[in-house]
Amino acid sequence: MQKMAKTLHASLIGVALVGCNQSGVQDPKVEFNKDPYPSTYQALPQQNIIIKGATVLTGTGERLDNADVVFKDGKIIALGSNLNAPDATIVDGTDKWITPGLIDVHSHLGVYPSPSVESHADGNEMTSPNTSEVWAEHSVWPQDPGFETARAGGVTTLQILPGSANLFGGRSVTLKNVPSHTMQGMKFPAAPYGLKMACGENPKRVYGSQKQAPGTRMGNMAGYRMAWSEAVEYKRAWEKYDRDYAAGKNPEAPARDIELDTLRGVLDGEILIHNHCYKAEEMAMMIDLGKEFGYHAGTFHHAVEAYKIGDLLAENANCAAMWPDWWGFKMEAYDMVFENVAIVDSFENSCAIVHSDSDKTIQRLNQEAGKVLYNANQNGFDLTEADAISWITFNAAKSLGIEQTTGSLQVGKKADIVIWNQNPFSVYAHAEQVFVDGAKVYDRFDEKYQAKSDFLLGQQ
Amino acid sequence: MKLFKASLIALGLASAGFANAASLAITNAKVHTQTAQGVLDNATIIIEDGKISAINPTSISADSTLDAQGKVLTPGFINSLNTLGLVEVSAVKRSQDAHDDDATITFDPSTAFNPKSSLIPLMRKGGITSNVTMPHGGKDMFKGLLFAADTSGQFDSLVETRLGVLVELGAESKGSRAMSLQKLTEKLTDANKALAKAKKDQAKDKKEPKRDELILQRLVKGEQKLIAYVDRATDILALLKLKQQFNLDLILASADDAILVTEQIVAAKVPVIVNADANLPEGFDSLHTSLSNPGKLAKAGVQVVLMTSGDTHMGYELRHQAGIAVAHGMDYQSALAAVTKNPAQVFGLSELGTIAVGQQADLVLWSADPFELSTKVEQLWIQGQAHSTESRIDKLRDRYMAESELPRAYIK
Repeated sequence: MQKMAKTLHASLIGVALVGCNQSGVQDPKVEFNKDPYPSTYQALPQQNIIIKGATVLTGTGERLDNADVVFKDGKIIALGSNLNAPDATIVDGTDKWITPGLIDVHSHLGVYPSPSVESHADGNEMTSPNTSEVWAEHSVWPQDPGFETARAGGVTTLQILPGSANLFGGRSVTLKNVPSHTMQGMKFPAAPYGLKMACGENPKRVYGSQKQAPGTRMGNMAGYRMAWSEAVEYKRAWEKYDRDYAAGKNPEAPARDIELDTLRGVLDGEILIHNHCYKAEEMAMMIDLGKEFGYHAGTFHHAVEAYKIGDLLAENANCAAMWPDWWGFKMEAYDMVFENVAIVDSFENSCAIVHSDSDKTIQRLNQEAGKVLYNANQNGFDLTEADAISWITFNAAKSLGIEQTTGSLQVGKKADIVIWNQNPFSVYAHAEQVFVDGAKVYDRFDEKYQAKSDFLLGQQ
Repeated sequence: MKLFKASLIALGLASAGFANAASLAITNAKVHTQTAQGVLDNATIIIEDGKISAINPTSISADSTLDAQGKVLTPGFINSLNTLGLVEVSAVKRSQDAHDDDATITFDPSTAFNPKSSLIPLMRKGGITSNVTMPHGGKDMFKGLLFAADTSGQFDSLVETRLGVLVELGAESKGSRAMSLQKLTEKLTDANKALAKAKKDQAKDKKEPKRDELILQRLVKGEQKLIAYVDRATDILALLKLKQQFNLDLILASADDAILVTEQIVAAKVPVIVNADANLPEGFDSLHTSLSNPGKLAKAGVQVVLMTSGDTHMGYELRHQAGIAVAHGMDYQSALAAVTKNPAQVFGLSELGTIAVGQQADLVLWSADPFELSTKVEQLWIQGQAHSTESRIDKLRDRYMAESELPRAYIK
């Protein structure tokens, strides 16, 4: 836990004044900027385009054949058959498939970039089991060449998470996958922060091996509970301060604690939980942990055993972000089934997501989803491409709290769009053109739209 | 659950059948022979005594016949350079036998191979019928000896042991890459000297060489393959020079920046074993990786073998790696060769990797294009024996998709 001195401001307030405020004078209200490192993102040059006669997967379960998509000023303005857009540039969509820009909810690009040299290992503050005070955005190296290769795979939005060594790993950041020489130039405007939590083997191994708590799974749970109970106190102290101040009193502000700020953000519903958690019994307890302290347990990442509790996840509105088939690298990843995503998806109100956690498979999220689609259909499911695309678009947007503006092709939403050369769930599929906010950020056939990181520029 | 079809049991049954007949005719198959015969449409393959006994015979006589209905038949795929059979769960140390701190060039992990590993049926799911397992070794630059095993899951799976020595060179986290190259050169030089001396002293009573010296001598006699893990172009060139100097039977592995020295690799006739999905600069040894490299190397005349990257558990993904290579420019038959004929040739497994009379009947019948995501293995034979692709993950799926009044532990 952070043991910071009281703020200078708070310590200057006379104790005698607290609660009675006989003079009627209030000190300036102590308030904090919740967005101190704001997004400076600006869309690249936007285009007015009509894609004609394509197969369109909306991301919300619909498939439109021989359909047109029109976008202008960064937004989708029309979607349907035989549309007219007199001023728009026509793109022939014959044989092409159009999907929303892909969203990866689990990436370490920029914080564990290529080249993976010691100097770049900035993704995991493995110095304490609770590092809620760290923010992944402060580690992002925007020159990671992995952003470029992911963009070539149609990824337009991605969440960068801290690693999983800690019970509380710190804040995540959601980025738009556009080239920029600052992190803030990529930062998704108004996207909520996430808080990375981790269940299971990693925290207990990392700290247990140092003879420090947690050394067991029960130690993990104790660690979460102690932190949340402290956060509840912190929230209460600040709310009392706000209340007293509003009542005209001149209360002393509680000491600010950067670590507890993050946990309080979760309790206030402003920060979303992203929980590395493989096992069914652990996810079930993490859901109840949220209920115990008054927050929503959010999205379970790497949820290899989510298929065992698909009903529970749906009932509690928890998303599960999964690999199609990673397994066996540790005990908690032993019970993989190829149909995991499909089983989770089969429940009403479910939120099944395919994620990468990899600088390689983030380049082929469409194929990762495709593996699930076909495996499931070979074993009793009847899923379509329109279902599968939601695992890497709309459901992912929902998990990140940005589904109001992106993640599906709907009029009024951001024109985050991929044009594929064919059915994207083929091993031979390629993203041909990628748009973010209606601006072309990648073109497979035009070098002008193939960005290159500073790192690779001029290498011999 | 909303999207299930009811036909799970029926699907389970469909994969039985055509088991262990003494002889089997597979008719009406699209056969990718990986020989000069190329691709044969509507072809018939006869399997007898574990071998391919005839292709398109004038009359078919076999104990049973399987109509392939025009589907694709390929040689069984061969994966390599993972730790199959030496690992169950990577992070569980007691299930790991590929590594040993004391390992040197003599380390032969084949005795630890576990055909009952749960990874093996998954390999079959990926159409893989044999695998070349490598040691992870210890601190020594020589990691030990490779071996080949089939994926039948039987206790007699080992195909070939001591089929190569693995050496790791290149970037060092402590010290200089030059030291490793120097040591390797010195060891090979010493082995050469020892051999020359032994020849000279033949008549005299001589000291038996040590076990590690014997292996080094086999390397310089060209009797033992040297598989070298390297990435940077300068290291590749250094190894090509050593090959020439010591007449090594050299194979390059990983070889991320091979593209810079393609001509030299072709001229030296050295095969390379690469990952199809390598396209990021992992370090300064790998600044020129690209998804198009496997195709370019093959086109230039390099004998390319594809392997899966990362964890051994993902080894069944080999066919999709081949698909990625094709998607990025590799000729289709070259990609197929890179997972069948080429690994067989490179590792000296001459009975494997092609469909020809006399070859071992390691075959896979695919529902469609083997590299495509929507395709699955329909039938798989190792030495002519049909093997199921079922594994415990199918049991887990079925358990959790079944309806039951009792806890799922009762569903078996």
